[in-house]
Amino acid sequence: MSRSQPHHSPAPSRPHPPPSDAHRSLCANTSAIRSTVKHLRDQTVSLAKPRSRSTRMDPYDVEGGAINVRFLHADSVRAHFIIQNFNLETANALRRVMLAEIPTMAIDVVEVMDNTSVLADEFVCHRLGLIPLIAKGVEDLLYSRDCDCEGYCEQCAVVLTLNAKCTGRDIMKVFARDLVVSAGRPNEDVGNPVIVDPERQGSSIVKLRKGQAIHMRCIAKKGIAKEHAKWAPSAAIGFEYDPANKLHHLDYWYEDDPKEEWPVDHDRINLDGGAPTEDEAFNYDAVPSRFFFDVETVGGLDPDQIVAEGIKTLQRKLAGVIQQLQGGGDGADGADFGGAQSPTLNGGYGAAPDQGYTTPYGGNASVWGGANAAAGGTTPYGATPYGGGPSW
Amino acid sequence: MNAPDRWLRDGSATSWQPPIAQLIEDNPNARQRYRMRGNHLVRHSVYSNRNEEKIEVKEDTRVPSTTIFTFNKEDHTLGNLISQRLHKYPYILFSAYKVPHPLFAMFELRVTTDGSITPREAVTKCCADVVRDLDVLQQSFTTEWLGKRIVTEGEAERQARDQNPN
Ligand SMILES: [Zn+2]
Repeated sequence: MSRSQPHHSPAPSRPHPPPSDAHRSLCANTSAIRSTVKHLRDQTVSLAKPRSRSTRMDPYDVEGGAINVRFLHADSVRAHFIIQNFNLETANALRRVMLAEIPTMAIDVVEVMDNTSVLADEFVCHRLGLIPLIAKGVEDLLYSRDCDCEGYCEQCAVVLTLNAKCTGRDIMKVFARDLVVSAGRPNEDVGNPVIVDPERQGSSIVKLRKGQAIHMRCIAKKGIAKEHAKWAPSAAIGFEYDPANKLHHLDYWYEDDPKEEWPVDHDRINLDGGAPTEDEAFNYDAVPSRFFFDVETVGGLDPDQIVAEGIKTLQRKLAGVIQQLQGGGDGADGADFGGAQSPTLNGGYGAAPDQGYTTPYGGNASVWGGANAAAGGTTPYGATPYGGGPSW
Repeated sequence: MNAPDRWLRDGSATSWQPPIAQLIEDNPNARQRYRMRGNHLVRHSVYSNRNEEKIEVKEDTRVPSTTIFTFNKEDHTLGNLISQRLHKYPYILFSAYKVPHPLFAMFELRVTTDGSITPREAVTKCCADVVRDLDVLQQSFTTEWLGKRIVTEGEAERQARDQNPN
C-alpha cells in the first residue's frame, strides 16, 4: 500500500546497520533451503514418469515421456509455450506461484514534499505504486520487514525522487523517466523504472500546468503480489489444457447445440493430439498431460525470468516443507519457504536466534548437510520399504 | 488449537455463534491485518511469524497411519499440489486438503498411508519428487527458450533486410 505523508521533510539517510543475528540466522536458513534444492538437483533423473495418455508415438513429443517444453512464441515481453508430460497439480502450482509469489520491486511508501498538481496526494501515490520497476537483482535486497533498520535503508529499499515544476506555457507531462534513482543500490538494475516505449518516457504520472509542481520521495521495496498486486511480475498468464475438452472437465453451457455455439481453437487442438473422433469412447483413465502457458511480463522481469523464478520459488517452498518435516517439526519455525520472514509479534528479533535454525540443517546430523544421502544409510528412509530406490 | 475446532468444541449446534470478530483479533492467521515493527507493516496473511510453526503435525489417534498437517501461511498452491501428487503413490490410502476458513491463511492436509511408510515420510518424498520434476522442467525450458529467441530474432532480422535491401 502506498501511504502519503503530506508535507514531511525527507527522512535523513541512515548508515548501514551491521547484520544482526536475526539476519544471519535468516540467511542460514535461506541457504539451507538453497542447498536442499541443490541436493535434490544433484540426484539427476526424474522419478516422475507421468502416466502418458497413450503409448502411441506423438509427433509433437520428441522427448518421449520425459517432461519437456515446446515453444510457440518467444520475445521480450511474452513466452508462449507448452509443457508436455507434466501433471495438472504441478502446472497449476507453477501458474499460481508465477502470479503471486515472485519477489519484485514496487514503490511502497511515498513522502510528499510538494504537490500542487490537480491530482490529490493519495491519487498520485497510488499511481506511483503501480509503476513497474526493474526487478533484476532483487535477490540482492532484503525484505524491509527482515531488515534491522527503522523504516528503510540501502539494504532493503531503493529511493526514487520525483521533482518537477512546470514553468513554461505548455502543459508539462511527468513520466516515470523523471524518477531519479538514489545512489547506493546493491546493483545497477533494481528499482529503475521500466521504460520500453520508443520515446523512452515510461509510464505517465501527472500533468502540470504553469506554476504547478510536484516533489515526492518514493521508497520502493521488495515484495510479492500475494501482499499487493503491484508486485505482480506478469500482466497475465494464459493457462489451458485439453482444448478439445476430451476429458470433459468442462460442461459447456448452450442453447441448442454446443458444437454450433462455441468457437473451436483448431491450432491448439492440433497441438494437443487432434480432435476426437465422433464415436471415440470416453477414456475414464485419461489425465491431462499437456499444458499451454502464455506468460506476459509487466516489464520488471523478462518473461523467461518469470518462469525461472516461479520454478525456483516453488522449489524453495517445497524444500522448506521437506526441511521442516525432516527436522522433526521443531525446525525452522516461522521461516517462510520462499525465504521471506517476518519478525515476532512481541518485539522483533531477540538476541538469541531460534535454536531450530541451525540444528537440523547446519549440523552433520542433517540429511542435507551431511555427506549426501546417496549412500542411503544416512536418510531416515534407508530402512523403509522404498528406501532401496534412489533415496532422494 | 485451530479456530474451527474451538467452535465445534464450545457447545451445541443451537448455541453456536460464530465469534468471528474475536477470532480474527486473536488469530495471527487472520487476513487483511497488518502489524507494525518500527515503520514496517507486516501482513499476517502472507508472511510467517516466529511464534507459530510453519507446519504443525498432528497424528490422528482414531485412524492408523494418519496424520493431519497444518500448513500456516500457505494456500491452495501447496495444498492442491501435495494432496493431488500423493494420490499417485501406491502406499497412499487417503490424501486431501481443506482451507477451513478463507480468512485464516492456512490449510490442513490429511494423509493416510498403508503403514509401509509414515505420512510424514510420504509428504517429504512427494515434495522431493516435485522438486526434481521442476528441475527437469527448468532445464528444458531454458534450452527451448534460448533456441526460440534465436529463431525469432533471426526472422526479425531477415524481415528487416527484405524490407530495405541495400
Ligand atoms: Zn533496511
